[in-house]
Amino acid sequence: MGAAKQAIHAAVADEADVSVAEGVPAERPTTRKVLPIVEGVVLVAALLAPLVLQDYLTVFATRVIILALFALSFDLVWGYAGIMSFGQALFFGSAGYGVALLARDLNVTNILLVLPAGTLIGLTFALLLGGFLLLGRHPSSVIFVSLGTLTGSYAADRLARGWYYLGGQNGIPSIAPMSLGSYDFTEGPAFYYLVLGILVVVYLLCRFLVRSQFGLALAGLRENEQRIAFFGYKAQHLKAIIFTIGGAVAGLAGSLYAFHEGFVWPNMVGVVVSTQVVLYVLFGGSGTLIGAVIGAIIVEGVSFWLSDNYRDIWPIILGLLLLLVILFRPLGLISFVLGERERVGSFGAKPKEKRNAAP
Amino acid sequence: MANAFVAAFEILSFGAIIVLIVLGLGIIASMMGIFNFAQGEFVLLGAYITYLAYAKGLPIWAGMVAAPFVVGALGFVLEALIIRRFYAAPIVAMLGTYALGLIIRESVRGLIGGFYLTVPEPIGGSIDIGAMHISAWRFTIIVITLLVMGACYLLLSRTSFGLRVRATLENPSLARASGISTPLIYGATFAFGAALAGLAGALIVPVFSLFADLGLRFLIQGFVAVMVGGVGSFIGPVAGAGVIGTLSAALPWVMAPVVADVLVFVLAIVFIKFRPQGLIAGKGV
Repeated sequence: MGAAKQAIHAAVADEADVSVAEGVPAERPTTRKVLPIVEGVVLVAALLAPLVLQDYLTVFATRVIILALFALSFDLVWGYAGIMSFGQALFFGSAGYGVALLARDLNVTNILLVLPAGTLIGLTFALLLGGFLLLGRHPSSVIFVSLGTLTGSYAADRLARGWYYLGGQNGIPSIAPMSLGSYDFTEGPAFYYLVLGILVVVYLLCRFLVRSQFGLALAGLRENEQRIAFFGYKAQHLKAIIFTIGGAVAGLAGSLYAFHEGFVWPNMVGVVVSTQVVLYVLFGGSGTLIGAVIGAIIVEGVSFWLSDNYRDIWPIILGLLLLLVILFRPLGLISFVLGERERVGSFGAKPKEKRNAAP
Repeated sequence: MANAFVAAFEILSFGAIIVLIVLGLGIIASMMGIFNFAQGEFVLLGAYITYLAYAKGLPIWAGMVAAPFVVGALGFVLEALIIRRFYAAPIVAMLGTYALGLIIRESVRGLIGGFYLTVPEPIGGSIDIGAMHISAWRFTIIVITLLVMGACYLLLSRTSFGLRVRATLENPSLARASGISTPLIYGATFAFGAALAGLAGALIVPVFSLFADLGLRFLIQGFVAVMVGGVGSFIGPVAGAGVIGTLSAALPWVMAPVVADVLVFVLAIVFIKFRPQGLIAGKGV
C-alpha cells in the first residue's frame, strides 16, 4: 500500500502545496506552527476559566464545553470525511434519553456506567443509521445521506414528542446527578473540570486518529472519493467507520449534557440541535479539530452575551454571519490564523529526518 | 359510508397541500439540482403576505394573488445575489439556503412574535352533499392544486420557455452554445419555484394559521417526497408528494398517530435506499 499511500499524500497535498506532491524534500518553511499555539491558548483559557468566572458563568461554560465535544463529533464526520450528517443530534439526543432512562427507571447514575452506556448508545445508533445509509451495493449520493440523516433526526424528534414513556413534549425532567461512589457531580467547577478532561482526552484521540494512516485515507476520501476507491480502499467502509466513531463521541457528549442540564427534551434529538452543531463547525472551521471547539465557544458565547439585549435579532445575525462565512470564508474563522498547509497537515508516522544526510 | 367519504376527502386535501408545497421544491431540485432549505421560508413568506393583506383590511384574495409575485421576485433577487454562487457544490447550497431560511424565518418571527395568527378562509362554509359536509376552502385548494399542476406541466412541456429550462437542465454547455442564457433561465426557474411556494403558503394559511415554524413543518416532508418521486423530472416529485401526502394523512386512521408519523419517514428512506432513482426515473418533464 506504500505507493498508494504516497499517491494519496499527493492527492491531498494537491490542495495545499505542489512541492510536497512532487516529493521534493523541500526546505520546510521556517515559520512557526500556529496550530499548537491556538490549541494551547484555548486549553489554558479553558483551564483558568472557572477561577475568574462567576458561578453561573461556570455552569454556562460547562455547557459550552459539552457542546464543543459534540461539535467535535460532527467535525470528524463532515470536516474529515465529507459526510454531511444533518442528523448528528440523533446520536446526541438518543444517548441523552438513554442515560436519563437509566437514571429514572434503574437508578443507575454511576459515572463509570452511564458515560460508557451513552457512548455505546450513540455508537449503536450511528452504526445502524450509518450502515444503512452508507453501505450497500451502490454508493449512496451525498444528497441522500444528508437528507437521510436529517429525516432520521426529524423522525426521532416526532417519536420523542409523541411517546408517553419518553415524557412526550416535556421530555424527562429532574434527572438525578451523576455520581462516583458517594460523590454527586452537580453543576459547578468539579463538573466543569470533569467535562474539560473528557474533552481533552477525546480531542487528543481524535487528533491521533485524523493524523494517522486512517486519517490520511479519510482526507483523500473527502477530496476525491473516486480516486480513493481506485486505490483499493473501501470508501464506504471508511465512511461508515468514521460515522460510527462520530456517533459515539456525540453519544458521550449527549449523556454529559443530559446530566448537566438535569433534563432531556425532544429538541435534543431534533433538527434544531442538528443544525446548531453544523453552525458551530462551519463557523469555527471544518476540517480542523480546534476549529470545531472554537466555533462552539464563539457561537454560544456571543449568543449568551447578546441574548440579554438582542435576544430577538440574534438568530438573524447568526444567519447573516453564517451566510457570510459560507460565501467568503468557507474554511471558517480559524482560516484567519491558520494557513492552508497547516490545515491539511501531515499524516502517519513522522518521515525520517535527515534524509539528505544519507549518501 | 359518510365517514369513509369524509376521511377520503381529508386525505385527498392533505395530499393536495403537500403536492402544492412540493411543486416549487421539486422544480428547483429537479431543474437546478439544488435542495433549497429556504423553500419552507418562502411558504412562510407567502402566508405572511396574505396575513398582512388581511391585517391591513384588504380582501384576503388580494393577498393571495400578491403573495406568489412578491415571493417570486424575492426569489429572483436572492438567486442573482447568493444562490448563483452555490451551483457547483450541492452540499454548500444546502447550507447556504439553510442560512437564508434562518434569516427569513427569524425575521418573520420577530415581526409576528411567537403567536399563532389566524386568517379566515376567503371562501368559508361547507359544501353539503346529502348528509356530508366538506370544507369549501379545502375543496378549493384541491381544485387550485390541480389547476396549478396542469399549468406547470404545460409550461414545462409545451412552451418554448419550458424547452429552454429542460435544455439547460440536460446539458448546460450545449444550451449556452445554442444561445440560451442559462443564468437567466436558472434565475427564472428559481423565481418560479419560489413563487409556487409563496402561492402554497398563501393558500394554506387559513387552514394551518400563521406561525414562524409553518414552513419548517413541511420542509422535510417535502424533501422526502422529492426523493421518493425522483429528482430530475417534473412529474416525479409531484408523484412522490402525492404518495407521501396521502400516506401521512391516511396512516393515522389505521394506527397510532405517533407510529404513523415515524413510519412514513422510515418507509420513505428505505424505499429511496433501494430505489435511488425514485418512483419515476429519468429527466425531462
